[in-house]
Amino acid sequence: MSEPVAAASSPQVPLIRVAGVTKRFGGVQALRGVNLEVLPGEVHALLGENGAGKSTLIKILSGVHAYDEGSIEIAGERVAFDSPAQSRAAGVAVVYQDLSLVESLSVGANLMLGREPRTRLGFVKKRQLTAMVNDFLRAHGIPLDARTPVGSLPFAYRQMTEICKALMGDVRILILDEPTSALTGGEEQILFDAIRTVTSRGVGVIYVTHRLNEVFRISQRVTVFRDGLNVGMFPTAQTDMKQLVAAIIGPGHAALHARERTAVGSASNVPAVGKENVAVAAQPILALSKVGNDRLRDVDLTVCKGEIHGLAGLIGSGRTEILETIFGLRVVDTGSIVIDDQALSRITPAQAIKLGVALVPEDRHVQGLVLDHSIERNLTLPRLPQFSRWGWLRSQAAVQQAQNSMKKLAVKAPGSSTYVKFLSGGNQQKVVFAKWDHPRPKLLLLDEPTVGVDVGAREEIYGVVQDAARAGTGVLVVSSDLDELLRLCDRISIVVDGRIVNTLDRALLGNAEALHHLIQLSRSTTESPKGTSFGAHAT
Amino acid sequence: MNDSVSTPATDGQAAQQRRGRKWQLVRLLLQGDRPYALYFAFAILLVVFSFASPWFLSIDNFLNIGRQTALVSIIAIGMTFVIIARQIDLSVGSTLALSGMSAALAMAHVGDNWIIGAIAGIGTGAIVGAINGFVVTRLNIPSFLVTLGTLSAARGLALLVTTTRPVIITNDSFVSIFGEGDIFGVPVPIIWTVLAVIAGILLLHYSVFGRQIYAAGGNPTAALYSGINIKRVTTLAFVLTGMLAGLAALVLSARSHAARPDVVQGLELDVIASVTLGGCSLFGGRGFVLGTLLGSLIIGTLNNGLVLLGVSSSLQLVIKGAIIVAAVAFTKK
Repeated sequence: MSEPVAAASSPQVPLIRVAGVTKRFGGVQALRGVNLEVLPGEVHALLGENGAGKSTLIKILSGVHAYDEGSIEIAGERVAFDSPAQSRAAGVAVVYQDLSLVESLSVGANLMLGREPRTRLGFVKKRQLTAMVNDFLRAHGIPLDARTPVGSLPFAYRQMTEICKALMGDVRILILDEPTSALTGGEEQILFDAIRTVTSRGVGVIYVTHRLNEVFRISQRVTVFRDGLNVGMFPTAQTDMKQLVAAIIGPGHAALHARERTAVGSASNVPAVGKENVAVAAQPILALSKVGNDRLRDVDLTVCKGEIHGLAGLIGSGRTEILETIFGLRVVDTGSIVIDDQALSRITPAQAIKLGVALVPEDRHVQGLVLDHSIERNLTLPRLPQFSRWGWLRSQAAVQQAQNSMKKLAVKAPGSSTYVKFLSGGNQQKVVFAKWDHPRPKLLLLDEPTVGVDVGAREEIYGVVQDAARAGTGVLVVSSDLDELLRLCDRISIVVDGRIVNTLDRALLGNAEALHHLIQLSRSTTESPKGTSFGAHAT
Repeated sequence: MNDSVSTPATDGQAAQQRRGRKWQLVRLLLQGDRPYALYFAFAILLVVFSFASPWFLSIDNFLNIGRQTALVSIIAIGMTFVIIARQIDLSVGSTLALSGMSAALAMAHVGDNWIIGAIAGIGTGAIVGAINGFVVTRLNIPSFLVTLGTLSAARGLALLVTTTRPVIITNDSFVSIFGEGDIFGVPVPIIWTVLAVIAGILLLHYSVFGRQIYAAGGNPTAALYSGINIKRVTTLAFVLTGMLAGLAALVLSARSHAARPDVVQGLELDVIASVTLGGCSLFGGRGFVLGTLLGSLIIGTLNNGLVLLGVSSSLQLVIKGAIIVAAVAFTKK
């Protein structure tokens, strides 16, 4: 049952062994017999498209669902969990994408929530709690302080708090579900260091991700799921990116060819738009000059028609805030914004939309979609005036437009009246894009457009963005995925502390590593007060 | 769910179209998630009371129920908008009292004309609603607290204007238009209820404003990111509720030929119970007008039936409370 590779390289008893597990939800066979095995101290990456069965397996391991057939063994003992508490007692801890921290409490209070050290009268021993948590953090080499309120921490550190929370107590298997989806380069490193500290103590890690380059940085072995089945298990050292992509999306998948085709296409695009003199000659659709508010300082930025312009930088550097300011969600205190030749000092989102600005926000569940409503209701929301006469809704037109947009963006759903909450992550993100499908926006603002989206849907989204740019839309895209920026963008601006310190032509940038170093460099040079001049003459 | 899937029609296209139109009508009736249980509950209630009391099953009694529930039904239509927008309005009872005083005083001192009374009553309701909406959206105070404040303040104002004395209404056309008249045997309070329901259905299910209300309650952040002016939409929902409270005030004062400052204390509870019983989620984003009407009718029928059965009014309150909680628990998603 176990793959020959595993047997050869592991004399130890695996911490966890999943063999032939199946699971059926009503008419849907979510798992059709999957295997997975994690050794002590191993990071085992788990890959697959949305709907491949990764989440189902995680939910089974964490005791949320029961499995139908097969077996799960923990340290050689057969187990079946009826509740999350049983799974936790067996030493399985899960860190989900959505964090479960109380923002108003400190790191220490969050970590000890429900098991605070108490006096006999039931009062919390605060000093002891802080000391216990700080000892724990120091022992794990984690750069956090027990007294910091969680709400004041950057996202990466909140996530670290969440991991610590999972590690409190006797943990043998740690499951991380897309831990880096909202992290940038430097923060990723902090996370990986934390994971290494954990594995050096013999804990096994199941690492679920959509980002393939991480697999090579952190994992020892990789298991790939597709359609509820194991496609294969590979020792990381003996595989490469191409093999993994092929395993994930399956043979003969259109996206595989699309990837190569668009790669060629974008390469030939570079001379057309990418060259600086051409870009300057092109018509600007957006121009910010010396824009400042509570989060931004003197932001200068130009996006031309048909240009894809990237914003790179760390979380909290002000990338998202630039998009929000342009879309009218933040007040402009100083400077001016010109959108499509109209100078604006105060913008509301409704005005921005009327001018042809569209925003695909960072968090589709909170900002992008009304999950409890149908696809059609979501799609028509930003363009309601377009579907109305004298304030009355033209429902036929709305449904018609929704169906067209769904077809165009290949949203997989039974119909336009399907509730958005029943769709997979990739399809939900396509719905957010489809909100702005017609008429084509003049300026498209994208914030982490492919977070939590599988490889196939990601390629389709890239296609949508590139098609829009080809038709003349100016695109401004924020992404922590540097490969994504390099793949899509004609120019990339680096944001540090609410300012744009550097704008570079795609042609001048090498690979993701070069861009990563550049971001780090910009950051370290601007941290000292003198460094501000560096960015100015670097262009 | 209710996918009206357009299957490739080969023959009998007309029949299919007819079925489609019928299906749309059904959808209009069932606008919501699980309303079947509600219809079922109403039907059971009717059957039980019909067997239990010989006086229950008569046109006169049903007209009676309609007249008695008119106040709650009319205001509950507005409350449906407020609750779908993830807010609550506790001030409706006081707003009604103040609006009634305002209408009666306007007719007594400004001009003895039913139109002046109507404008004063509905206008006062709109002003109270606007204050509620403005304070909630501009000062960012939870509507529970704001309307708890106006509940007290509006009632106090109503008592203050005449130092707690009622104001007699002598205008005959006012009395007949809003209270005692009838059209083809249907009492006007029922006519006003039906008009409010139709307006509510059109506004909530067929207008842009309705879509915006649903979005503002379903996910305010996503609505904001879609360019919806949530503050404006929410304020309008409060104004609408205030206006309907004003209309209810006209109906009540016309029926009693006087406006009294101390009427309908605790009415907000019946209104909110009707709305939630009718399938509105207190978490916002879900609900429908016909459900609310049904919720109000169920509560009204319950009141009526228990009186006919001779149940003591104290026990009535207990039974009513238990049935409301049980019904919401049963129909909630």
